Amino acid sequence: MNAAEVQNLCKTYPAFRLKEVSFSLEGGKITGFIGRNGAGKTTTIKAMLNLIHTDSGDITYFGLPLSGHEKEIKQRIGYSTGTVSWYPRKTIREIVDVTKTFYSGWDGEAYRKYMELFGLDETKKPIELSEGMKVKFNLMLALSHRAEILILDEPTSGLDPFSRDELLEVFRTLKEHGVTILFSTHITSDLERCADNIIYISRGEIRAACSKEEFLREHGKPEETLEEIFLRLEREARL
Amino acid sequence: MNALLRKEMRLSALLLTYLFLGFAVMTLLPGYPILCGVFFITLGIFQSFQSAREANDIVFSALLPVAKRDVVKGKYQFVLLIELCGFAIMAVLTIIRMTVLADAPVYRQNALMTANPFFLGMALLLFGLFNTIFLGGFFKTAYKLGKPFVTYIIVTFAVIGAAEALHHFPGLEALNAFGFDHFGLQLALLAAGALCFIALTVLSYKKACENFERIDL
Repeated sequence: MNAAEVQNLCKTYPAFRLKEVSFSLEGGKITGFIGRNGAGKTTTIKAMLNLIHTDSGDITYFGLPLSGHEKEIKQRIGYSTGTVSWYPRKTIREIVDVTKTFYSGWDGEAYRKYMELFGLDETKKPIELSEGMKVKFNLMLALSHRAEILILDEPTSGLDPFSRDELLEVFRTLKEHGVTILFSTHITSDLERCADNIIYISRGEIRAACSKEEFLREHGKPEETLEEIFLRLEREARL
Repeated sequence: MNALLRKEMRLSALLLTYLFLGFAVMTLLPGYPILCGVFFITLGIFQSFQSAREANDIVFSALLPVAKRDVVKGKYQFVLLIELCGFAIMAVLTIIRMTVLADAPVYRQNALMTANPFFLGMALLLFGLFNTIFLGGFFKTAYKLGKPFVTYIIVTFAVIGAAEALHHFPGLEALNAFGFDHFGLQLALLAAGALCFIALTVLSYKKACENFERIDL
């Protein structure tokens, strides 16, 4: 069953256009969202979170349209983006104390577990965190309210290899518990290790949306890694 | 208190905004354009908006499990709370000036506006203008603060100047009534100010919600 569906999403900017973007997120699976910088990954994700006003298209979660069910859907999804710093001069405790009041499913135990796992200190302020720790702080916020779908925009950017490995293990564990993950990245080696499905976007258009095996079979050559396929496809698209 | 207002007060607001409520005490200053107290209270609110913008507050709020337009509601609730707290202080001090201090020479020999219900009505009008010009203007983009605030400054000081000048015109002396003189007229002017405040705030809130829905964050 699909946990979320995006259908015919269009958005026009002066210098960029998202063209009829359609894909679905299979429940309980990790879907890698790949594409080079400026391909439309973040625009698509922002549309999925109702942060931007689209020209057309439909977005549904759990069979419910985002439009009209925004509050209840947002209770059930989590979002994290790279190194954006929320309230840089407030302590993590202050930010969490306010944030948790919005979520009926806030899980104090999960919160403490991820704080410990990520080595975060409640008394620290985002301005005092390194870029990698900011990523972990954002992830901790997304993971602490029992989200059924996690939308992660470049969650491993800026992390050291050990932290990335830890994080991928967290994603695999969450998947085992039925959580659906959309994982946008250009670090394709991370997807090789954990993704079940691949969505490939280039110049605002979806070029592939299928299982990882199917993607490797249809687009890859023998012995090619996901990164090599991705680079080759991008080069071919430029010609 | 709802979660959005709590978020505004604890995460988005600066301490300065609460401290600037102290400018409501300017109501007691003799020989000073006391309506300027309203401007300083709104300046405190502006500081919180500026700080919140640097903290990515709008996007953070829009990601919370609320409808997008509720982000606007939270901001309006916070601004109204500050404005009404400021107004309450001014109202209490105005009552003191109208009663126990009614005959104080320092207020009687005052060429500028006195504290009376007309003054309170004008204060409400200024708060309403802030809500329309600054808040409404801010939510056209959710990040541009300068232009709406500068526009508000120009309009608000023009209105303060007019309010200060009016009672010097023949026939309009009642606007500057002391104690409970011309009380019926004074109350009517306060009610008119309150109506302007409500109308300006409600209209700007509706427009801000519409604009915010169309904005790309």
